[in-house]
Amino acid sequence: MRTYVVTRLLLIVPTLLGVASLVFVIMRVIPGDVTLLILGGDQAGRIDASQIAALKHRLGIDQPLLTQFGTWLWGVLRFDFGTSLWSGRPVVEELLIRLPLSLELALAATIVSVLIAIPFGMLAAVRQDTWVDYLVRVISIGGLAIPSFWVGILVILFLVIFFGWGPPLEFTPPWVDPWANFQQMVWPIVTVGYRYAAVTTRMTRSSVLEVLREDYIRTAWAKGLRERAIVIRHALKNAMLPVITLIGTEFAFLIGGLVVTETVFTLNGVGRFVVDAVAHRDYPVVQALVFLIALGFVIVNLLVDLTYAWFDPRIRYR
Amino acid sequence: MAAGVRRHQTLFVVVALAVLIFSVVEANRALQAAEAPRRGGVLLAVIGADPPSLDPHQESTFANIQLVAPLYSTLLQIDPYSYPRIIGDVATEWTISPDGLTYAFKIRQEVRFHDGSPLTAADVKATYDKIVFPPEGVLSIRKNAYTAVERIEAPDPSRVVFKLKFPSASLLNNLASPWNVIYPKRYLDRDPNYFKTNVMGSGPFKLKAYTRGATFEGVRNPDYVVRDRPYLDGYKFFISPETSVRAAAIRSGRAHIEFRDLPNAEVEAIKKQLGDKIMVQTTPMTGQFGIAINSTAKPFTDVRVRKALTLGLDRYTAGKVLYGITGLKLVGGLMRPGSEWALPDAELQKLPGFWKDAEKSRAEARRLLAEAGYPNGFKAVLKNRNVKLPYQDFAVFAIQEWRKIGVEVENRPLETAAWFNDGQNTGNFELIVAPTVEYMDDPDQFLGRYVTGSTQNWGRYSDPGLDDLFARQARALDHAERDKLIREIQKVVLENAYYMPGLWWMRNVVHWAKVKNYVAPPSHYTNQKLQDVWLAGD
Repeated sequence: MRTYVVTRLLLIVPTLLGVASLVFVIMRVIPGDVTLLILGGDQAGRIDASQIAALKHRLGIDQPLLTQFGTWLWGVLRFDFGTSLWSGRPVVEELLIRLPLSLELALAATIVSVLIAIPFGMLAAVRQDTWVDYLVRVISIGGLAIPSFWVGILVILFLVIFFGWGPPLEFTPPWVDPWANFQQMVWPIVTVGYRYAAVTTRMTRSSVLEVLREDYIRTAWAKGLRERAIVIRHALKNAMLPVITLIGTEFAFLIGGLVVTETVFTLNGVGRFVVDAVAHRDYPVVQALVFLIALGFVIVNLLVDLTYAWFDPRIRYR
Repeated sequence: MAAGVRRHQTLFVVVALAVLIFSVVEANRALQAAEAPRRGGVLLAVIGADPPSLDPHQESTFANIQLVAPLYSTLLQIDPYSYPRIIGDVATEWTISPDGLTYAFKIRQEVRFHDGSPLTAADVKATYDKIVFPPEGVLSIRKNAYTAVERIEAPDPSRVVFKLKFPSASLLNNLASPWNVIYPKRYLDRDPNYFKTNVMGSGPFKLKAYTRGATFEGVRNPDYVVRDRPYLDGYKFFISPETSVRAAAIRSGRAHIEFRDLPNAEVEAIKKQLGDKIMVQTTPMTGQFGIAINSTAKPFTDVRVRKALTLGLDRYTAGKVLYGITGLKLVGGLMRPGSEWALPDAELQKLPGFWKDAEKSRAEARRLLAEAGYPNGFKAVLKNRNVKLPYQDFAVFAIQEWRKIGVEVENRPLETAAWFNDGQNTGNFELIVAPTVEYMDDPDQFLGRYVTGSTQNWGRYSDPGLDDLFARQARALDHAERDKLIREIQKVVLENAYYMPGLWWMRNVVHWAKVKNYVAPPSHYTNQKLQDVWLAGD
């Protein structure tokens, strides 16, 4: 077990190095110049070449690419991700403003999805081809087919048109004002949680169905065990491996992947931050965020892998 | 008996008059009370973008100026209630020498920065030195607007003098730029880039907090130079790039105002739901959406091809079709229709692309294409910014128009950075959507882009005659002479189809009726100080 964890932790290094190199190259290959963006604004300014050169020098992007990459990596080792080319503030400081919101949304949406998906997925499997199964499948297919941002816009319009009420426009942390936080976060959580639950419900249903056809389940039936004991104690636990994997991957995705939902609900989260940084060619921010999101994925994957042993004691780590 | 009736009649008339006078006085008092500015409250606004930085000297986006303008003073300003009249801000009065080479300004002595230090002529000089003669490593994106300025002097704390190399007809307009906010000299001396991320102004509000991507807040400056102003306790912008979300915020009352623009469909929905609780100020905007033609790329090196494209664009139909969905409406030349320097309709309608008869224009376009060797048309790419309103809708209209003259054009949306890069920096395009937006209807601002070598000359053409006309109009202090030169410039650009104007924008400023004393000017960069704005009770 210890060897396995150490090996996996060591493997993080080349993975992250690969991600960092790839993002560094991509950001410099795509068209668009951060200096022109900074100088030009939204209508293009009257700009001298000397001003562009001066800005490049100030931002440090007139250095050879390898030097820039080396400087950045050296900073990462010291947990210094540099400063934003646009705001001039440390990237970590900017990230810390947004991380609580994204974490709250991801965690709450995960909880909502698990609370919905596992019972309903299980129910649909146990009652396969009945109206219960059909209803669960229709609702979950709806969650997959309808984009979250569209659901979000519909929710907002519904509230505004029928109640003349809209969610607050500013994030208030739950420890500052739980009610204000609830009023703002409940809608994106429900919106994101619905899509997330749809994916997880379908996975739970198919996984439970597969396990229910196993020989040991047939044996349990033959022994005269009650349905609840068979489904919950014997089938569900074994059906959880793919579901846990899915939940882990989705959770990591939610941290930085909810750009459109964040935009619709005016949430200043990590997803919007990434997209803004790409659009503004803010190299240090993009590099840092992609690096940290990749790190998040790797860690969540490791934790998911480690939970496998609890669900399936036959699994051994070597 | 008759005397008694008369006495009663007289009494009745007297009482009736007294009641009438009392009612009028009371009604007037009530009206005055209703309209008397009310103190307090925080103005809540929504805005569609984050500022790249907080320094207006280095930025040109509404996302900067709308947020920070209430925090600063300027030397002059455009009258918030009488556009385009120029009035003083920190300057109380000014004189211009008869030869037009010396502008002397008297500076108010009681103005203080938010740290308590006095604002003097030395601060004004330091600010304009930074803009006009930026030191090494300091950016000044508007310095070319002040090429006439030779030096700036501050002979004493209450006087600033601008000495010019040659007369400049637009200098006062340029000194009223909302972007040229006054910074304290000692901060500039320490770090000229300090204001990219910090604020130290002398405006009616002080910076309270800024959370990038979320909110920007200002709080009342109790020491503001104008007595009893501002009325508001503060203002707060919520940053949301999604138009429908900003509109919903207004509808739900989470925000009082959207200063830039909302599309007509949203405006109608808001009006329908909220009725007279909402006000909409619709103004023509100092902004136009047109298309730059790369004059160095074939077949656009041929003036006949360029002319054919502009002839093929039916602007009058475009105005009717696009207004409802984009706000693009008015047909005009290179200066805003209806403004002081605009080409009169009679002159405009003689120029290619502005004839009223669209079929006649198309026939002429096809003839020119055939003459240029393209009887069956050709294919081209129109590069565009990947912003829907109004970029994409405008492009779609233009493309279907050109199809009618046999020219097949592909719309290629680009991310903003790539769009700037291809349009301004590298010239890597055939046709590109290139809007022109300025803070006022000033010829130097709008026509400078048609001069050889201008970074805004995306079409990359060079016409020495045009350059000469521009230089002469910039120096022409005689209004009639300048007007003639400006008309000539517009005709040269449009006849040679160096640039293809599309439509001029109309601006919808939507706000709750309780927002008082705000008048929407034709530019979304001006009248943003909020000094006199107040909030009525619910």
